[in-house]
Amino acid sequence: MNRFVLKHGTQSLFALLCLLVLVFFLARLTGDPTDLYLPMDASIEQRAEFAASHGFDDPVVVQFGRYLAGVMRFDFGDSLFQGRPAIDAVLAAFPVTLKLAGVTMALSLVLAIVIGSLAAWRPRSIFDRVASMLTIASASAPDFWVAIVAILVFAVSLGWLPTSGMGSPAHWIMPVGVLMFRPLGLLTQVVRAAMIGALAAPYVKTARAKGAGKSRIIFVHGLRNAMLTVITVAGDQAATLINGAVVVETVFGWPGIGNLMIQAIQQRDFAVLQACILMTAFAIFFMNVLIDIAYSRLDPRVRTS
Amino acid sequence: MSLRWRLLMAAAAALPAAAPAWAQDTPTDVVIVLETQPDQLDPCQASKSQVGKVIKQNVIETLTEIDPESGQVNPRLATEWSQVDDLTWRFKLRDDVTFHDGTPFNAEAVKYSIERTMDESIDCEIRVKYFGGLTLEVTPAGEHEIEVKTSEPTPILPTLMGTVVAMSTATPMGEITREPIGTGPYRLEEWTPGQQIVLTRVDDYWGDQPEVTKATYIWRSESTVRAAMVAAGEADIAPNIAVQDATNPEMDFSFLNSETSRLRIDAEIPPLDDRRVRLALNYATDRDGMKGTIFSDKVIPSTQHVVPGINGHNPDLTPYAYDPEKAMELLAEAKADGVPVDAEIILVGRHNLYPNSQESLQALEAMYEAVGFNITLKMTEAAEWYDLLFKPYAEDRAPNLFQEQHDNNNGDAVFTIFVKYHSEGGQSTFADAEVDDLIDRGGQASGEERTKLYQEAFKRIHEEIVPDVSLFHMVGFTRVNPRLEFTPSIATNSELQLSEIGFNNS
Repeated sequence: MNRFVLKHGTQSLFALLCLLVLVFFLARLTGDPTDLYLPMDASIEQRAEFAASHGFDDPVVVQFGRYLAGVMRFDFGDSLFQGRPAIDAVLAAFPVTLKLAGVTMALSLVLAIVIGSLAAWRPRSIFDRVASMLTIASASAPDFWVAIVAILVFAVSLGWLPTSGMGSPAHWIMPVGVLMFRPLGLLTQVVRAAMIGALAAPYVKTARAKGAGKSRIIFVHGLRNAMLTVITVAGDQAATLINGAVVVETVFGWPGIGNLMIQAIQQRDFAVLQACILMTAFAIFFMNVLIDIAYSRLDPRVRTS
Repeated sequence: MSLRWRLLMAAAAALPAAAPAWAQDTPTDVVIVLETQPDQLDPCQASKSQVGKVIKQNVIETLTEIDPESGQVNPRLATEWSQVDDLTWRFKLRDDVTFHDGTPFNAEAVKYSIERTMDESIDCEIRVKYFGGLTLEVTPAGEHEIEVKTSEPTPILPTLMGTVVAMSTATPMGEITREPIGTGPYRLEEWTPGQQIVLTRVDDYWGDQPEVTKATYIWRSESTVRAAMVAAGEADIAPNIAVQDATNPEMDFSFLNSETSRLRIDAEIPPLDDRRVRLALNYATDRDGMKGTIFSDKVIPSTQHVVPGINGHNPDLTPYAYDPEKAMELLAEAKADGVPVDAEIILVGRHNLYPNSQESLQALEAMYEAVGFNITLKMTEAAEWYDLLFKPYAEDRAPNLFQEQHDNNNGDAVFTIFVKYHSEGGQSTFADAEVDDLIDRGGQASGEERTKLYQEAFKRIHEEIVPDVSLFHMVGFTRVNPRLEFTPSIATNSELQLSEIGFNNS
């Protein structure tokens, strides 16, 4: 098992390094932050002086070397716009996203398992059809639109919930609800499909013949075997949650990593952007390791192969 | 009906009653929802609009203050001023002012403030934007009087002092601070990064005590959300909402936001180096057709790149009328003289430069093609757009029209006219000795003479040179909670003085 995890770990580390190179050069292709930082009426000399004092006039390779040397010492550079270390900005934003994504994923998984399993119990029943229709709709709805409509309905018209921001538990309902839309829809479909397969297996027939109860058959016999697929897709979805977090955090004004990343891109605040992406990549890398471990726990075949 | 159902329904019924929990409780506190979080709150960045909206004249104050409607220079921390000689000025300072940290406001503090603002080791916007190439030498002349010596004659120094803010000598030299310490009616209480900034009223402010006791600044990037927050009572002021969100005449105010839009014509490249071609572009532009459709119905067709109220604005100029026949005649005339009027002209735009930015260019493209131009629209992102805005321009560039918007609310045309129209300006597209001369002489002059010279320059630019298609003086929309007594003005773009906010007793 250790070898399995180790092998996947080194692969991910290599991917991380490639990402580092890619982000650095891609970001610089988008232009020079001098123009965005200085006022429009700044003179040519002032622009040159600014670029020189922040090292933007050095060849990109030199800048990259400087950056790499910094990263080795966990120094990600200073945010050009905020005037503080980039890592401070990122570390302040990260827990917000982690909490948002964590709660969303946990709720989505629980709901998807319950709905998906019940739908799989009698495929093509009324419950199955309604559940399928709703989950496909939720997996396809654009989150940006859902978020704005939710605000107009629940905050402005009905006045039940706050429009945006953090604070009370009520502030969590809309952001988590909107962010859940896609993973919930997708995971329910996956659970349903995996469970239909699992429930058709001979050992389930045996369990039924023995007179085991419906919930025991679904959640003990069936689910355990369906879990492998579900975990794979859930891991995938957790990574794409970052995409959703960019939208949800921006609309609801949550100071998370998605919000910070968008701002850094718009301002060409390279130090913050790089720190954001590295941090996110590291989190996903760490999560993949956890998934690998979960695999080997659930499925003995993975351990021995 | 089961008990469980009854409880659920009772809970649902109670929900709307609980809603005001998100709204304000203390009646003299206000919540202001901005577009983005200010990056920093350094006093020397107060000219940046996101910084200025929070701290300018609230936490930190300027030496003089410019009336944005008339362009007149009024006293603030400096009470009076006089010119000693060409290079030297004296400013008398208020003697009843203390910084929030208890240190006295005096000549030494002003000297420190100016030196820190001019320090080249930090990128203060006030220095870069208003004092490019100028050095100031400040000498205290008594406890509450300073003498300022400039490196070259600067007749508008009192206007420039409207940008210079006083900060406590505890503000670190040579590094950007996130904790401004000023003299204003409010102090910075807390800044929770990413979440909110809170200002509270000070008890011993030198001027009149304002009504607002506490101001909380939050930020949401979606205009719809900002507007919704005021509608739901969660916020009191949402500066700068999009035109499509300004749907409630009771809450939404429009105001000239000191921005002026235009297409800059690249007058150095054929066929645009021919004046008739540039005139044809102007006659082919249907400003009235775009007003109230693509642009708000509140915009004003413009003739020059500064708004009325700015010293040097020429009120006697008239916009070019929409006359496509005349445009076609001019083009035919130019063509007969061998001007390559069929050449492809690139219309460079920028996404989201203002609302309906791209749509406005599509309309212009259609208008120009209708009279016979060959236009190709090219939209850019900010970084590429900036690159094309500034000199040096590429040698082998295609003739282009460049979409631009410029904001001058600092009282004087100098902040616009040199950079846009002087042959040495960083964004000019023509060289005319007479215009250069008018701008140079205007810069050295003061009073009525200065106004007259700049007006003459704008007249020559608009009528003789025609280096642009001037479009509109633009408007912004601000949503204000009806419980407040506050009318947004041209200044709301760069500052939001809490002391101007009152409350309606209803």
